[in-house]
Amino acid sequence: MKGVIFFSALLVAVFSQKIFVGDQVLRIATKDVEQITLLKDLEELEHLELDFWKGPTHPDFPTDVHVPFASLQAVKVFLESNNIQYSIMIENLQSIVEEEKIQISRSRSTEQMRNTNSFNYASYHTLDEIYSWMDMLVSEQSNLVSKIHIGSTFENRPIYVLKFSTGGTKRPAIWIDTGIHSREWVTQASGIWMAKKIATDYGKDAFITSILNEMDIFIEIVTNPDGFYFTHTKNRMWRKTRSTNSGSSCVGVDPNRNWDAGFGGAGASSNPCSETYRGPRANSESEVKSIVDFVKSHGNFKAFISIHSYSQMLLYPYGYTKTPVADQQELDNLAKKAIDALSTLYGTSYRYGSIINTIYQASGGTIDWTYNQGIKYSYTFELRDTGRYGFILPANQIIPTAQETWLAIKTIMEHTYNNPY
Amino acid sequence: MRWTLWIVLGLFPLVDGHPTLKTDQNSLETADAALNHQNGSLNSVLHLDDMEKAALETTRDDPAFPMKELNTSHYPATRAAKVAQHYLNYHHGSPSKWFMVHAIKKASSEDIPEVGKKYHIQFSVQEQATKEIVGNCTAEILFRQTEVQSAPEVNCTCDDLLKIKTSDADHALYHHIKHQPEPMAGMDIPDSQGNIPKEMEPLWYLGGIGASFIMWQQSNESTLYNMAHVHSVKQLNSENDLLAFEYVVLLHDMVSQEIIHWHMQVAWNPTQGVKVTQCHLLPKGTMKQPSAEKHKI
Repeated sequence: MKGVIFFSALLVAVFSQKIFVGDQVLRIATKDVEQITLLKDLEELEHLELDFWKGPTHPDFPTDVHVPFASLQAVKVFLESNNIQYSIMIENLQSIVEEEKIQISRSRSTEQMRNTNSFNYASYHTLDEIYSWMDMLVSEQSNLVSKIHIGSTFENRPIYVLKFSTGGTKRPAIWIDTGIHSREWVTQASGIWMAKKIATDYGKDAFITSILNEMDIFIEIVTNPDGFYFTHTKNRMWRKTRSTNSGSSCVGVDPNRNWDAGFGGAGASSNPCSETYRGPRANSESEVKSIVDFVKSHGNFKAFISIHSYSQMLLYPYGYTKTPVADQQELDNLAKKAIDALSTLYGTSYRYGSIINTIYQASGGTIDWTYNQGIKYSYTFELRDTGRYGFILPANQIIPTAQETWLAIKTIMEHTYNNPY
Repeated sequence: MRWTLWIVLGLFPLVDGHPTLKTDQNSLETADAALNHQNGSLNSVLHLDDMEKAALETTRDDPAFPMKELNTSHYPATRAAKVAQHYLNYHHGSPSKWFMVHAIKKASSEDIPEVGKKYHIQFSVQEQATKEIVGNCTAEILFRQTEVQSAPEVNCTCDDLLKIKTSDADHALYHHIKHQPEPMAGMDIPDSQGNIPKEMEPLWYLGGIGASFIMWQQSNESTLYNMAHVHSVKQLNSENDLLAFEYVVLLHDMVSQEIIHWHMQVAWNPTQGVKVTQCHLLPKGTMKQPSAEKHKI
């Protein structure tokens, strides 16, 4: 029995490896409809085993066909005798297949074994990849970066925050979080880029070096790990946490309606099936409670930036009430400055204002709570775009988005640094 | 040049977007807006009866019902402009032409007692394929105060709409699709990472234009719709010269944050434009959710 299995496996291996040796892909340029008809006739000849990558449709469009080695001569004779022009697009298909296999395994091992310099910042990553990357960053720059475990999710995943510090004890600090709503993938991706940017720029860039000489920066990249995992495995559009709700088959709480600021008021839903379900009580979600506990026990945060997508907006409190915050004027001026800085890079335009005026009434929101805790420079970003791609922003926009957002964040950090309170 | 202009204007009446719809449960009513096209502008006749007209006349000069200037950064203007975008797309979009609001320049609103609220927006739009900006658009959007959802009524004029020339691209695409041996089909556009295969792009645009009809019909002052995803598209047989497709699209409402699934049938050819011939809302949980990442490297 074993012998049979082994032999079959060998056969399969042999066949799957040798299947395209000598095969070619021809690009055929037809000049009129008669030639198209001839190609269609050729298509009908099953014994040739032709595989049309681009079928014969119209004289203006090329026809691409994969021709097995055995049929090559017959096909070429046919084309030449009918005066049909063609060129050899791929001389030996097998070599391409092998090259691709090598590339895939190479990139796999690259991701796992190399360093944060060869990490692909222009693509979206899984939770495991991001957690591995974090460990790599910490190990590469342990003098500057450390990883803090601030709590666990509903499904028991660890929640990590990266701390950038050059020393001191509870220095005045800046907080950045991304991915609190799991489907907003450009935010976690931007968080990764910004963390790497800070680590790279310290000691080289005057601005970030001065900031870090006196302040600490904390970045929570995957603020909703359960939700994030769900967007990778089951539902790309998942927003909330993954906690179960008693008495309902619907899962999850909106982590940006679960904070203790205006909790229970208009601007959130009491229905567990809703995308803006506030939860049974404030801080019911461990993802939220972990941050609350951390911020309270730290006691010295001076700026708090929570990052979402999409809409291209920079928002300050409040969301739960129309009453303007006491620092309305200052926050408004700073927001304008920040989005002006953002637009200098790629011309991306942002709107700005309080949450309740600019987007909608929302109660139990993050920055309403942080502001009420006395963290004056509390802002929410809504990154690219304005609805063309929405949540599913192409990966080639990650780095431009992160770069321009970084300019706005630096503006806020600079103002915080220059205006201690 | 003049000739071209006259011919083009003469042909406009052919570009007519009367959608005919099956009235299913949860499907949309036949839109009964009459459309007049002049110089690239689109007008829908506001359905005011005599009493309403009188009320409207009164409000124009009555300080008791003034025009309220709106902050262009705030959501009332944003939501109204988005409605105008949907309207513009449905009547002028194609698989090669898709508009997004670019900037709102000026906005105001007026309450019309017993009728609803009318917004006046001056804005620019950007065409997504050519990246061209059409600078001077004005729109009037009337949201009626009704018990049941009713489509906002829109008047929309853009000065330079004709400068966006996609007729060649549309015709080439039409012929390409017409002569494919197999009906076209696609799923998950874009994929999780935001990628769209080149050959699927026109079907993504077409989905967006068809979805614009639904989004226009479903809009009110408390919604802000965008098409989030094309779950599936399948070319249907069509006996006439229209291409026909069956779509399932995901729409995102920014205000409620909900994702809703709509099934729609869309017909298109370059001269007649896009028509949604059938559509209905799919109950939550009917469809498998958008696929997660397929390539786990």
